[in-house]
Amino acid sequence: MQRQASMSSMSSNHEKASSSETANDVKRTSKLTEWLQGWGIGNSEWDILLASTCLKALLFPAYRSTDCEVHRNWLAITHSLPLSKWYYDTTSEWTLDYPPFFAYFEKLLSIPASFIDASIVDLDNLNYSAWSVVAYQRTTVILTELVLGAVLLRFIRGSVDPTAQRVISTSLFLHPGFLIVDHIHFQYNGFMFGIMLWSILMARNGNKLASGVLFAILLNFKHIYMYLAPAYFIYLLRSFCLSPSGQVQIKNFLSLANAVIGVFIASLGPFILLGQIPQLLSRLFPFTRGLNHAYWAPNAWALVTALDRVLLKYLKWTGNAVDIAAPGVASTSRGLVGDTVFAVLPNVKPIHTFAVTIAFQAIFLAKLWMNPSYKSFVTALTLCGYSSFLFGWHVHEKAVLLVLVPLSLLAAERQAYFRTFILASVAGIFSLFPLLFTPAESVVKVVYSALWLAFVYKSLSHQVYEFPKSLSYVIIDSFEKAYFAGFIPLLLFVSAFPLFVHRTTAAAASVPASVACPPSSDMGMGMACTEANTTILDNAAAGPAAALSQLEFLPLMLTSVYCAVGLVWAFCRLGFVYLKGEATYQGQMSRIG
Amino acid sequence: MEDRQPFPLAAQLRDEDITKPSSPSNSSRNGPRERANSRHEPVRLPEIHAPTPRRHLLEMSESGQWLRTPPLSPTSSRGVSPVSHFSFGAQQHPRSRASSTFSAGGHRSHSASLHALLALDNTRRVSVVGDPTSARKRVKEDSDGGMGRRCIRWMHKRGMKDWIAPGAIGAATLIKWCIGLGSYSGHATPPMFGDYEAQRHWMELTLHKPFSEWYTYDLQYWGLDYPPLTAYVSWICGIIGSWFEPSWFALDKSRGIETEGSKVFMRASVVVIDAMVYVPAIYLFVTTWQASRSKRTQNLGLLTLLFQPALLLIDFGHFQYNSVMLGLTLFAVCAFATGRDLLGAFCFVLSLGFKQMALYYAPAVGSYLLGKCLFLGPNHGSRLFIRLAVVTTLSFLLLFIPFIPPFAPLSAITHPLTRIFPFNRGLFEDKVANFWCASNVVFKWKQWASRDALVKLSASLTALGFLPSVGTLLQVGAKLRLKGEPAAGQADAHTPILPLLPYALFTSSMSFFLFSFQVHEKTILLPLMPLTLLLCGAPLNSAMFGWATLVNNVAVFSMWPLLKRDGLGLPYVATLVLWNRLIGYNPIRLPSKSFIQLISFAVYTAAVTLHIAEWLITPPQRYPDIFPVLNVLICTPVFALAWLWSIKSGVQVGWALSGLGASASASVGALRSPLENGGEPVKPRDRKVSAMSASAAATGREGGSLEGSAGNRAMSLGYAAGRRRAPLSRPRTTESGAP
Repeated sequence: MQRQASMSSMSSNHEKASSSETANDVKRTSKLTEWLQGWGIGNSEWDILLASTCLKALLFPAYRSTDCEVHRNWLAITHSLPLSKWYYDTTSEWTLDYPPFFAYFEKLLSIPASFIDASIVDLDNLNYSAWSVVAYQRTTVILTELVLGAVLLRFIRGSVDPTAQRVISTSLFLHPGFLIVDHIHFQYNGFMFGIMLWSILMARNGNKLASGVLFAILLNFKHIYMYLAPAYFIYLLRSFCLSPSGQVQIKNFLSLANAVIGVFIASLGPFILLGQIPQLLSRLFPFTRGLNHAYWAPNAWALVTALDRVLLKYLKWTGNAVDIAAPGVASTSRGLVGDTVFAVLPNVKPIHTFAVTIAFQAIFLAKLWMNPSYKSFVTALTLCGYSSFLFGWHVHEKAVLLVLVPLSLLAAERQAYFRTFILASVAGIFSLFPLLFTPAESVVKVVYSALWLAFVYKSLSHQVYEFPKSLSYVIIDSFEKAYFAGFIPLLLFVSAFPLFVHRTTAAAASVPASVACPPSSDMGMGMACTEANTTILDNAAAGPAAALSQLEFLPLMLTSVYCAVGLVWAFCRLGFVYLKGEATYQGQMSRIG
Repeated sequence: MEDRQPFPLAAQLRDEDITKPSSPSNSSRNGPRERANSRHEPVRLPEIHAPTPRRHLLEMSESGQWLRTPPLSPTSSRGVSPVSHFSFGAQQHPRSRASSTFSAGGHRSHSASLHALLALDNTRRVSVVGDPTSARKRVKEDSDGGMGRRCIRWMHKRGMKDWIAPGAIGAATLIKWCIGLGSYSGHATPPMFGDYEAQRHWMELTLHKPFSEWYTYDLQYWGLDYPPLTAYVSWICGIIGSWFEPSWFALDKSRGIETEGSKVFMRASVVVIDAMVYVPAIYLFVTTWQASRSKRTQNLGLLTLLFQPALLLIDFGHFQYNSVMLGLTLFAVCAFATGRDLLGAFCFVLSLGFKQMALYYAPAVGSYLLGKCLFLGPNHGSRLFIRLAVVTTLSFLLLFIPFIPPFAPLSAITHPLTRIFPFNRGLFEDKVANFWCASNVVFKWKQWASRDALVKLSASLTALGFLPSVGTLLQVGAKLRLKGEPAAGQADAHTPILPLLPYALFTSSMSFFLFSFQVHEKTILLPLMPLTLLLCGAPLNSAMFGWATLVNNVAVFSMWPLLKRDGLGLPYVATLVLWNRLIGYNPIRLPSKSFIQLISFAVYTAAVTLHIAEWLITPPQRYPDIFPVLNVLICTPVFALAWLWSIKSGVQVGWALSGLGASASASVGALRSPLENGGEPVKPRDRKVSAMSASAAATGREGGSLEGSAGNRAMSLGYAAGRRRAPLSRPRTTESGAP
């Protein structure tokens, strides 16, 4: 307040003093800057916004996944169908499978879309990919991401250490995960995580009711955030609905319960009235999918599946007659099959994954119950999402953002958190790379992520540096460094492998033919010769090619397993720091109650 | 709240200081010390705010200005001596200058040195912290300095200054690549496609055909019409590309191929060659030409050059390899700056051998070298001249070696030459913002004169256009001629006429662009390169900055019809916004009501209006080309004015270097005296200082504001200022006028 007062008095004085023509210009600009400062956005923050928007605008013509068509289809569904048919429509294979708030959001977006180009919202206009629809959808992603930007700005404003928080906020706004998943692959994660961070911000500022309500809203936008729900539940219950001594705060409890129920009624109400809840739930939670997603998300199950593959090879090689499940041999060798069946290890059922997830979550939530401070909450929230990501059923690789985003908030706490953050970020972002498989976008993702990592590492590392306490720290540190270094050969292998396969198959296809048939031979002879060669080619030359095509998914598997190792290790680190290390060291965030 | 406590104190402090400067006469009468005792200001104030640098306050505050510098050192983080600091404050801020004069007056009347020192100290503190207007203005200047400055300053503060150059190059590469994700010239427009297909076709052609057929094979379909170096580079690219995938460059069958893979390869070839030639060249430029400037200024120069929108759009969007030609010329310019004239000549021949458009620079480069020969005197000069002639001839022979006698019949050399210089085309192509196209609106040249006459007319106009710069270079070189033997190594050193070179390059290439025959709109890149070199390190509110940014922006605007055809509308906006934000361009901040500010406003208004009109209105049937023609009519005057301005500036710098018509013996004496000092081997560093002192001597002798400003302009290039900053208080403060 005092600062504002001083600003205004300064400016009034300034206006008095300025009488010349030159000063008029200055006055005009200063008024403009003051107006902008009224928004609380400084020049450097405008810089970041402008520069990142320019970059994102340049990415408009980049590769986009089917998610773009999915969202276009949802625009069409919500625009051209009545509410009662939203969750029943099957015109496109990309049916609406997000909660109602997201459907309302799409309805809102479809209104300007219909003015820009009516064919965007035409339900039968499948796979419409004109420039108008691409530009419009990409623009909406950039605009809705402003929620994230605004919340991150608010994070700086009241923070204990604004310098570090600025770096963290910038790093989140420019996160390669958002660039890869939102601005190239196409989704609305920036918007969603904006709401999530808003909710966390409200918890920091002590407004726990708003925090709970925002989280309820978020759940009704995208139900994947259920991964985080247990931490919210425990935190709000312990610190809002109970007093520190353990008495129930009836007023708080009722207001929170009413607010959350209100949110759910606003979201689901129309569908309850229409009696469509079972249909809606069946869309939201399809339990017909397998343990692993098409490309294995880098979690514990990826490691287990890889172990199964290795064991299978080993058993085949030694010729041991352990009973091998026949479908398991066929399945998953390519890593692309929906349902994962193990060949050697016992199969995993959904109930197992739930049990493991909940067991891990319970440990951290117990700690949260005992220490319901803000920092503890953020750590427990991260670990809660982390457990779900590592042990959940049919986890998408994109869900790693659920771990990375809250973890970023802890990055500047101390060395242990920072190391965990860097580890998880490197492994997590690398695990997102296979989402973009086209060569042009691969360059973008690698260069951008490298720049981002250098920026974050350089600007935070010396701030949190701690001298290693014992030999074990040094040993762990050197192992982690070796792990980081391993990403470079992995990246080279992953990028070079398809090229190598391509060249080998091309050579295998062309070399024998040209050797067997001299180029001088006439047309008929050449044809006959080629036909004769096909069988030879199949038997001899195709040998390495066939072997290579079997290995087609080797880069994906390697990426997934290598990242899974890092992510599991980072999980252990974070869990250990949370459960053990908390008492010995108080980071800057601990000052917030 | 505890942690924010210092700030309200400081704010209150500034509040109270506000009352002071509104009545400077009052403060002058009382003197700063008495003022401190007045009832408005508690005595404790200096003790409170003195130990707390504002930088910390700013960092602790909630304000968003996280990239602000400490106000003490707006340009560099080096320690500032009290004297220079004082002069800095006086130069920078009218108000503090006033108070400093007052305090100086007090000093004289009291004639007590301790008191004066206190007064001085107090004034300084007031001018740094207390005076709200100056503090505020300085903070404003800091924060208005552009994204590049803020970013560099922040990284310096966070101990990341070694990461700026790699980071900038990485970010620029990312932007280049992202522009390349979009469309290109002739995308999906059979049968002829566009420049992209031309370049790809040359790779295919050179890969499969012998040298003898390079310039004769199927000329109707994008026959090779660039000099041999382009052909060699295409050849190498073709070899590498067909290693990846032979079908991309299969002879004749690959015409018009637009697969994803081939596109990535072609785009990658531009980015990689750019990173091999142009990026090292600009890095070399900022480290040699701006060696005397601070690290921050060098970094800013690097950013300015890396993100120059016109080149980004044409090379990485439209698809061409201009950066190779520009980079080679830039290498030559850097070689001249370090005195390696023969290497420079070789690089320039390579540049010519890559793209014949580099001829636009030839008058400037040639007259610079000739001027240097004149400068060195008859003996050494003629020796250098002969060496240059031999090196140039040999490099040309080397370039054309497959087309000359031992390897090919003598007649073969005519093939490349007739392809490279096509005089059988029209006066101008499409709509290009030069003199011919613009005047064609009212005066139909083609009906009035034959083609031959027009060729002659355009050639003579072009020559007339670059004559002033050539003349200045030669004249100054001759005037500053060394008498007697040059000192050891003098022949290898750069000459005092070096600051003229960028102006000459700009004048010469712009006169070619405006007046010569068969100009493309893309050719504007050639004048832009030297102009952007001049822009590096120019103060934010200088006329130089205004002109260079205006011409850069207008040049991009002049290529709008082309970019629109290529589908590059989005990159057009994005790169323009990014670059202008990066260098902190804001026409409002130019000197108020100056010519450059007025013309900037007029041109931008016209350009924006034209864009809006083009968006809203479909052109009438009678004038389908109305918008491109209007575009030409907006751009041509700007280019012509910039050309005139560069002639004027070049002549002024020439005067500053050599004096107005007087004999140059005095300045030569000033030049030579440090060289013969003590007979010890002279380092290049000292020679630069001597060049500077020559210009300073010339300026000082002639007096007058004209030469002074021109001399400063020469120094704003960072060259003549020398590496020693301390003795030159006046130019240094001018230089640091743009924090």
